[in-house]
Amino acid sequence: MEKVLEVKDLVVRYETDDGIVHAINGLSFSIDKERTLGLVGETGAGKTTAALSILNLVPDPPGVIAGGSIILDGKDVLSMGEKELERMRGNDVAMIFQDPMTALNPVIPVGQQIAESLEIHEGLSREEAMEKAKQMLEQVGISASRAYDYPHQLSGGMKQRVVIAIALACQPSLLIADEPTTALDVTIQAQVLSLMKGLIDNSHMSMLLITHDLGVVAEVCDDVAVMYAGRIVEIGSADDIFNHTLHPYTEGLFDSLPNLKARGEDLIPIKGLMPDPMHLPQGCSFHPRCPYATEACKTREPELKKAEGSHYVACIRYNESSFCLRRDKDAR
Amino acid sequence: MSKTRKTIILEGEEIEIYKGRSMAQETWRRLKRNKGAMIGIIFLVALMLATTVASFVYDYDKDIIAMSKDRFMPPSKDHILGTDNMGRDIFARVLYGAKYSLVISLGSTAIGLAVGLFLGALAGYYGGLIDNIVMRVTDIFYSIPYIMIAVVVVSMLGTSTMNLLLAMALGTFSNFARIGRASVMTVRDQEFIEAGRAIGLPTWKTIVKHVLPNCLSPIIVQTTLKVGSNIISASSLSFLGVGVTPPTPEWGAMLSDGRSYIRSSGWMCLFPGLAIMFTVLALNLLGDGLRDAMDPKLKR
Amino acid sequence: MPDSNTLLEVRDLTKFFDTPKGKLHAVDGVSFKLERGKTLGIVGESGCGKSTTGRTILKLIEPTSGQIIFNGEDITNYSVRHMRRFRTQMQMIFQDPFSSLDPRQSIMQLISEPIREHKICTTSAEIAKRTLSLMDTVGLARRFLNSYPHELDGGRRQRIGIARALAVNPQLIVCDEPVSALDVSIQAQILNLLRQLQRDIGLTYVFITHDLSVVRYFSDDVAVMYLGQMVEKASSDNLFANPVHPYTKALLSAIPLPIVGKDKPVRKLITGEVTSPVNLPDRCRFFSRCDMCLEKCSSACNPTLAEIEPKHFVACHLIDKEKKDVQ
Repeated sequence: MEKVLEVKDLVVRYETDDGIVHAINGLSFSIDKERTLGLVGETGAGKTTAALSILNLVPDPPGVIAGGSIILDGKDVLSMGEKELERMRGNDVAMIFQDPMTALNPVIPVGQQIAESLEIHEGLSREEAMEKAKQMLEQVGISASRAYDYPHQLSGGMKQRVVIAIALACQPSLLIADEPTTALDVTIQAQVLSLMKGLIDNSHMSMLLITHDLGVVAEVCDDVAVMYAGRIVEIGSADDIFNHTLHPYTEGLFDSLPNLKARGEDLIPIKGLMPDPMHLPQGCSFHPRCPYATEACKTREPELKKAEGSHYVACIRYNESSFCLRRDKDAR
Repeated sequence: MSKTRKTIILEGEEIEIYKGRSMAQETWRRLKRNKGAMIGIIFLVALMLATTVASFVYDYDKDIIAMSKDRFMPPSKDHILGTDNMGRDIFARVLYGAKYSLVISLGSTAIGLAVGLFLGALAGYYGGLIDNIVMRVTDIFYSIPYIMIAVVVVSMLGTSTMNLLLAMALGTFSNFARIGRASVMTVRDQEFIEAGRAIGLPTWKTIVKHVLPNCLSPIIVQTTLKVGSNIISASSLSFLGVGVTPPTPEWGAMLSDGRSYIRSSGWMCLFPGLAIMFTVLALNLLGDGLRDAMDPKLKR
Repeated sequence: MPDSNTLLEVRDLTKFFDTPKGKLHAVDGVSFKLERGKTLGIVGESGCGKSTTGRTILKLIEPTSGQIIFNGEDITNYSVRHMRRFRTQMQMIFQDPFSSLDPRQSIMQLISEPIREHKICTTSAEIAKRTLSLMDTVGLARRFLNSYPHELDGGRRQRIGIARALAVNPQLIVCDEPVSALDVSIQAQILNLLRQLQRDIGLTYVFITHDLSVVRYFSDDVAVMYLGQMVEKASSDNLFANPVHPYTKALLSAIPLPIVGKDKPVRKLITGEVTSPVNLPDRCRFFSRCDMCLEKCSSACNPTLAEIEPKHFVACHLIDKEKKDVQ
């Protein structure tokens, strides 16, 4: 299948006064055309840095993209000039941020904000752009008559819809959504998610959805990548990840979720904390928290290896024939 | 994160703990890395030492204000910064005069800070009518140029160092009232103030223990910068003749003295001018450094 | 009916705020009873008044009307000074572990503050001892004694907040979204800690959250709030198995479940957004978003809570209809 985005061996560091923060350490994944990839991980896993790298927007200093390649629609993002990058952002890739309150300019009517990006990227006249902007608003479920409203006149859910309209206005081939519904209430989150899913399917776009919420991933994504300490530990189709979990960290995430548990039963949290990205542990960076860790895990860095079909896992114990996660044992 | 460990003995039990770094320690650590701020601190400390030494070494009547026949001497071995129109040694006067500039600016800033902060904190914490009254009074003072206030005060009370200090404090306090109010209002709405109430802390304890310490950063920065600008104000007022009276070796007054001879004996203006410039520069460097060091956004 | 087993009773609690646009109904006639050692979960979306309810119970906000009866004592009209003694019995855990701790105090100072304030211990050796034992209780390593909040991560900070609340040996703790700012793996650690504390010292919780899955896991009883009112209240198992109010149904259906494949239930979405809680008309507050409206919903007054089965309360005109249908 045709790949929209291919990230290979990406390494990003933040060089601060206090030391070097290893945000991304050899990240590789790709997104096929018309697919949605969910990038899951906890705070500090490097999810947002990964998204910013794709747009070549990592703040520099202190951020340094130290290696790897990012191929978007056949072109290498990391070797593009400033002009090319500007054309790419918005035209080929658009990004939705977590907080709809700060993503909109408070002194410009929302319709005009959508129209502006159409004028710049599509070269439409002012009237045409405004007309199209109103259509876009209708598409995201806001009446066109509100095109002249200012952001503060809209609720949080509606603002996020406007942000989505802006992102989709120029029909990018890839949409990056960084925790797009985290700031919203559940009922609104459900509305926005189903809206996004519908729009993406209709316009044949691909999406990279960054989130910490496995529920949201299950709702929207075709493929899932689980990130830990700047690396992918497991990647595969949603079915692979949710129903045939292979990595101990992924299992830990599922076990920490309260909604699958019966009342009264204790949760099984992952012990310990996310490692300090300035001092990552040797070997597998998950080994200090992993209930299955062996001596070998402390020294050998696991590579992402094919398990089955499109399902890849980075765990050195996966190859042991007797190795089996707690979940699978319970199932048997 | 600081990971230096130390061992303490508590309850007869030895525990190894991390040496935590308080916000003040953290600020100092970051300030130390800021070259500009360190140059500023070193300059200011050196200046204070020098002027203290100068007031012991020189005799006010004999070395500072007494006339001599060596008038308009350019910088030389005997008088490294030259002499002025009355034959007084400029080096001695600049060093000795640092005392006046520093005392006036520090004193006026301190009075302005105390009054302004008290009023601002009151207005910010209680809001409502108190806020309205305090801020309108502040606005009035804010809208009058400090030179006007100084001229009025000095012409009412007469020229003296003390009156100049008072006049400048009047021009300064409104600034601090505003900053005090703004930062108290920000802190007041934070959750840890409510958390303090939830554990049953009385209001006064909340203000003293939690509100004020958290307002300090912007106020410290502003104080540093204000001391600098008050040095300029004091010098300007002296230059205009409403400040310190001759023959006191205040830097602004010295500039004023040298004004008529600027073409023939430029050093008379040059050195007091440089002294003002470097001192204010040092204070501004320190203030900017403090602002950067205290900015929580710069934390990694 | 005095009931020694009831720790907290709230009757018709109301809090209105005056705004330039009119009266804001933050809490509007909330009533419940909470037994010792139990947990009441209060769920709802932002702006439904759940946090205001929690703060009003602790009298951090003065109620407009209603009664708060704690341990058989009516504390509604107690002065701030009088309440200060009561703070040893009722405590709060805050949502944001980043802003609810004074950044200028060390962990030692933070945890010992309530101990000193209420003179639980007097000598400094005793205070230190109690601080350390509290740190052990909440699972905070002793080596952080001298650290500052900014040096710690969210989970550890939340443990400090819990230790502060526990310091005075309270009976009731109001937890206002205690885990929503934390990562899932840390969230599970904190939830387990809170539950273990309940088992060990018999704490009673009012657990406020927007996260239904957490509330299901954590609470004995659950109350669903919408625009300042309780629309449904039942035991946790009952509410999740058999929701009656259309809003509860919509909320439950909106939770994104981490399930992929054939077991995944079909979602039912509700349209619209929460209306403004200012100057509300006297009719069902969920009217504009409800897809099961009856004719009378547009004209009839605001429905009140009615017991449809033992300990299951619902405020909805639909239940009258159901009753009639049964007849």
